[in-house]
Amino acid sequence: MIYLLIGILVLAGLWVIATYNFFVSSKTRIKASVQEIGNQLKRQADLIPNLESSVKGYLAHEKGIFEKLTEARKAIATAVDSGNVQKMADAGAKLAAVLPSLTIAVEDNPELKGSDVVAKLMDELRDTADKIMYARRLVIDLTADYNVRRVTMPSSLVANLLKLEELPGLITPTEGKHLKVSEEETETPKVKL
Amino acid sequence: MINVYEAQAANKRKSALIIGLFILFVTVSVYVISQAMGVYFGYEPGGLGVAGLAFIISGLITFVSYYASDKIVLSISGARPADKKKDFNFYTVTENLSIATGIPKPKLYVIEDSAPNAFATGRDPDHAVVCATTGLLQKLTRTELEGVIAHELSHIKNYDTRLMSIVAVLVGMVALLADIFLRVSFRSGRSDRRESQASAIFLLLGIIFAILSPIISQLIQLAVSRRREFFADSSSVALTRQPSGLISALEKIAKDHEPLEAANKATAHLYIVNPFKEKGHGAVDWLAGLFNTHPPLSERIAALTKMV
Repeated sequence: MIYLLIGILVLAGLWVIATYNFFVSSKTRIKASVQEIGNQLKRQADLIPNLESSVKGYLAHEKGIFEKLTEARKAIATAVDSGNVQKMADAGAKLAAVLPSLTIAVEDNPELKGSDVVAKLMDELRDTADKIMYARRLVIDLTADYNVRRVTMPSSLVANLLKLEELPGLITPTEGKHLKVSEEETETPKVKL
Repeated sequence: MINVYEAQAANKRKSALIIGLFILFVTVSVYVISQAMGVYFGYEPGGLGVAGLAFIISGLITFVSYYASDKIVLSISGARPADKKKDFNFYTVTENLSIATGIPKPKLYVIEDSAPNAFATGRDPDHAVVCATTGLLQKLTRTELEGVIAHELSHIKNYDTRLMSIVAVLVGMVALLADIFLRVSFRSGRSDRRESQASAIFLLLGIIFAILSPIISQLIQLAVSRRREFFADSSSVALTRQPSGLISALEKIAKDHEPLEAANKATAHLYIVNPFKEKGHGAVDWLAGLFNTHPPLSERIAALTKMV
């Protein structure tokens, strides 16, 4: 009987340790995944000047795009230095916004379409945008795991004992236009070619 | 309509249930057969000793294939390492999804074969390999490829190679044990049969188990394999959030009727779809389905469509 009790206590103790370890290692992983966003943005900032110089000759008359790209790159650099997830995300979005205008520029210049250099540029830009998106996904997933375990039984017992706070993950405004659908958005868009 | 988190949780539960059932079945079979063998040998631990021996032999055979799974599979399939310039989409998509899963980027290989297919192997994420055929890389768009690669990376992240190896060890043990038992018990009758009724029942049960359990354990092994495919599909969606990518990839692969030349029976369960292609329709479908490493594509697509 006494051995059974000791056995149960030991198992419970092991479980508490495992749960505690989950929470602390999650916190560290989340921190690392935020750094990964910074890492990817830095990569992007280093990549773009090289891409620019490789296509500048082809798109000499589309100066506006390169100005936008340079601007986006600078925004990324300052965001990475600040270490703020939200600023990093905003800066990444800025770059993503340049992509469509680049697509249009390529479409306006049919002679560019077949060019390998431009195709390569488009590929690289899409890839770098994807990398940052997936780096953010990791932050979102890890914090979601952490927050779920924090509030669900039985791990919530340990979380309450440690007084763990809910982690924000990727900060997204809880109010605003993105949660509302306007009248015109309910219409199915017609694609005119 | 089911959300990704629920699909994930349901797959995890069902997977654990099947594995639990499998372990229970193996334990009962081993117990019954070794008891019967004990009756035959005339002393109790005799059967368990043989069971231990069967476990060690089966374990050794599987350990080699588990430990060197990345190298063995690649030497069979005749693959070349992927190149960032040549296989830009394949390379970068895997790179990106590895960031999202938080595992190191696996080694990438390409098989020159026009049948679209892909597989993942390796004992842990540090020794993982993802391999795709040139047919797959040519026929799929980047979004579709993301779905397929995310499926493979989920196999790696969920340690499916390890799980299937453990299952294979146990299946091998049951088969060996049953084989040994049937050989010794049918060879020649013993002279001094001093059996109680209980041991006679064990002997009878032992024979029944020895005949049936290798087949049944193999069927459960295949059920585990199919469940892991569903699990990898839902994990893929959890990663890409685009079920449509994987759905259209599976549809494209389903349309292609070319069998993969590099595949063989031992590696079939690793691929994204069964490399031998599904045959047979109608009444035999259900029976044939029991012997498949992969669930039918139509069922997988239906499960994914629910997540859209």
